[in-house]
Amino acid sequence: MADPALQITTLTKRFGTLTAVDAIDLTVAQGEFVTLLGPSGCGKTTTLNMIAGFVPPDAGSIRLQGRPVESLPPFRRDLGLVFQDYALFPHMTAAENVGFGLRMRRLPREETVRRVAEALDLVQMSGLGERRPSQLSGGQRQRVALARALVIRPAMLLLDEPLSNLDLKLREEMRGEISALQRRLAIATVFVTHDQGEALTMSDRIAVMRAGRIEQIGTPTDIYERPATRFVAGFIGTANMIEDTDGVTVIRPERLRLSSAEHAPPGTRHWPVRVEHVVYIGPRLELRLRATDGTRLQAEMVNDGTAAWSAGDTATAWFRAEDAWAIRTP
Amino acid sequence: MTGRLPWSALKLAVACIYLFMLGPIVITASVAFNQDNRSYFPPRGFSLQWWEAAFGPQWLQPLLFSLELATLTALISAAAGVPLAFAFQRYRFPGKALVRAITLGPLILPTLVTGIALLQFLSLIGLGRWMGFWALLIGHVVICLPFSVRTIAISLAAMPGNVEPAASSLGATPFAVLRHVTLPLAAPGVLAGMIFAFVHSFDDVNLSLFIARPGERPLTVAILGFLEFGFAPTLAAVSIVSMLIPLALVALFGRFVGIGDFLYQETGNG
Amino acid sequence: MKARRLTPYILIVVPATFLLAFFVIPSAVLLSMSVVQSEDTIPTGNLTLDNYATLLSNRLYLSAILRSFIIGVASGVIVVVLAYPLAYFLVRTTSRWKNLLIALSLAPLLASVIVRTYGWWVVLNREGALNVALRSLGAIDQPLIMLPSTSAIVIGLAHALLPYGVLTIMASLNGLNPNLERAAMSLGAGRVRTFLAVTLPLTAPGILGGFLLTFAIAMSAYATPAILGGPTTEVMATMIRRFMLELLDWSLGSAMGAILLVSAMILLLLTSALGNRQRES
Ligand SMILES: Nc1ncnc2c1ncn2[C@@H]1O[C@H](COP(=O)(O)OP(=O)(O)O)[C@@H](O)[C@H]1O
Ligand SMILES: [Mg+2]
Repeated sequence: MADPALQITTLTKRFGTLTAVDAIDLTVAQGEFVTLLGPSGCGKTTTLNMIAGFVPPDAGSIRLQGRPVESLPPFRRDLGLVFQDYALFPHMTAAENVGFGLRMRRLPREETVRRVAEALDLVQMSGLGERRPSQLSGGQRQRVALARALVIRPAMLLLDEPLSNLDLKLREEMRGEISALQRRLAIATVFVTHDQGEALTMSDRIAVMRAGRIEQIGTPTDIYERPATRFVAGFIGTANMIEDTDGVTVIRPERLRLSSAEHAPPGTRHWPVRVEHVVYIGPRLELRLRATDGTRLQAEMVNDGTAAWSAGDTATAWFRAEDAWAIRTP
Repeated sequence: MTGRLPWSALKLAVACIYLFMLGPIVITASVAFNQDNRSYFPPRGFSLQWWEAAFGPQWLQPLLFSLELATLTALISAAAGVPLAFAFQRYRFPGKALVRAITLGPLILPTLVTGIALLQFLSLIGLGRWMGFWALLIGHVVICLPFSVRTIAISLAAMPGNVEPAASSLGATPFAVLRHVTLPLAAPGVLAGMIFAFVHSFDDVNLSLFIARPGERPLTVAILGFLEFGFAPTLAAVSIVSMLIPLALVALFGRFVGIGDFLYQETGNG
Repeated sequence: MKARRLTPYILIVVPATFLLAFFVIPSAVLLSMSVVQSEDTIPTGNLTLDNYATLLSNRLYLSAILRSFIIGVASGVIVVVLAYPLAYFLVRTTSRWKNLLIALSLAPLLASVIVRTYGWWVVLNREGALNVALRSLGAIDQPLIMLPSTSAIVIGLAHALLPYGVLTIMASLNGLNPNLERAAMSLGAGRVRTFLAVTLPLTAPGILGGFLLTFAIAMSAYATPAILGGPTTEVMATMIRRFMLELLDWSLGSAMGAILLVSAMILLLLTSALGNRQRES
């Protein structure tokens, strides 16, 4: 059985009194796409910088392809990096940027030229190789940065919020492209983002980070439908969190149903509620509800023309037990 | 990134550069402790007599003259620098580029040329009697003004985007905006500008050389004049004293006004 | 609205008039004095280029002009060569002494150039520190004569102007995106190659800027050549002093001042052209 592409154990980094990364464990299998997701300042970049070798860890170990790398400088780690600001060399053309890693590896000239062309082709940038970074659009720079990281055929790809400088439309387009490329090349990838949409749509697994710790690692379905903590439930998507004696019950707005009848189906939890406000989103409607006992709830439904709720209506909100998820506080 | 070979080599080189940079100053200071009236290094014997002499009337007079000149220069530079920086930073007006070039010109043009120009001009228009204090004050304001204008302009430019419009939207009159928002935010720049102007005036040689006159010479020109007769430990002591004054000034106020923030942008004429 | 258009002029009128009277007009007078004949300090004659012809045909004057340029170039080179490693270290070090070290490297700016040069005299003179040290090591029998000399002037000026180089180069290193070096390393470039392929070319404008600034200041420096030089090492600044205060030949003094002025302007234009080009790319 092959070694995992990346295995980090109890990795820790402190800056003065701040523990930026607090004893995290993470394993990335060959070909797997793992996302580090968390709010700004939670330690994602620091983690990536330790993997890449730019920041020395205070404790813990990092193995790449089964090999411990603590003593390896960044230029021996064989990783492809894409930075949030792309970090393209402004004094080189796009092609020279892409070829940089190959020149450092002293590859023969013809091979360098061929592989640069291939890489630019891979990111649909053929023909723009002679441009300088300043003559490229944000999306094009992003592609060059990706090609530059991939052309050296690294053992692993690390991307630090690579889409956050793009506008919305382009961002969604690039999501799909990066995913497709990663799958085609079957390259193990750690992707850093604070955008839950990116994390859910692109990843095989997501590690949700908070204040230097990993709160939960799991598939997008796990993370969204079976959050391990309140923080995870609240950070990814919207959640109705209903306090119980031994924890909370999480019910997603789209699983909370609303009926005009006085009674809910038997065996379900339900509340009599008043519709306080209807938020019109277009394809969907978001309903802000308040139960008679004061609980605030949120429901979401498809705007398929059948729902005719308006503020002031009274209704019954209910959900099926299998649609809810309980987080027990130990 | 420490502990690697290239880095260690760099550290060694840096240590040598510091030695090169600070060595002569340390040597100057230690020469002033010589027993005899010779500039031996390492010093022979130990004596404080040259330090005493440095505060004798021969040196105290030019020192006080320099302090007075530098203080007045700093005050006038600030008073003239605030309106200039305001006009440059907050207004667009025909002729702005020209006025700006003229204001910053003395920073870039050789001070020595400014000095001989002033010398000639004042003599030609029959104001030769101004030579000495008044001519020096005029000349020093000309060469120190760019420092204060630039520093004040930097602090005006660094002001967070819309604080002034925000204040007026809250009902502040233009005068109230100036008094409660703009000036308090610009104050560190004004102070830093005064410090730069003071130091530049206090250290100037190239201009003062031409327009000083006996009895009305700043310390630097007095030292230079004395050098023609040779070097002595007294001079070393005087040099160190003259170095400590600007140093003390920056040590006292530098942190308060964040002088480092302005330094990067201040690479003017020595 | 009319009042608002007048406001900037009201703000500048007093200081601008002052500068016009005591900077612009005197400089213009200087330039005109350089092209008229004069009897000592009094202009007498017509327009003439004789003053320049005299300066450029006399061996002594010409060599002073050349020496100023050589000193400017040499000090500029030494300054950037020393300032670069120092600035690089100061920007990159994670030492907790960092701020102190930066302050220490810039502190000499606060001392008059006379003070900084005087130390070199103490080191380099016949009975100075260097000769004493060499003699006690047994390296020499007779003291070395190091003063006055052009090399001593260059060393003194490089020393005095080093902080300017450090400031300019630090500014340019601080402006460098640290991810660029990280990117180069992640692509397999070692520390030295990262430096040569990325850091150095991207900070080249800072190096050139530091060089030109030092060049301009060194070229017109008076105190250092006066202290470490002598009659055999005259430069433009010392010649100008001689013309203005001793020989009282103001026409020649003005002409030499004009040469200095124009040379400095050219260096300045080069610097700002460089800055513009960098901003564009
Ligand atoms: N070099 C550093 N020195 C001091 N604190 C740092 C440094 N780098 C990061 N930090 C701090 O560590 C925490 C985590 O930062 P980072 O890893 O950049 O977060 P993220 O990428 O998740 O936004 C932040 O609080 C940040 O301020
Ligand atoms: Mg980050």
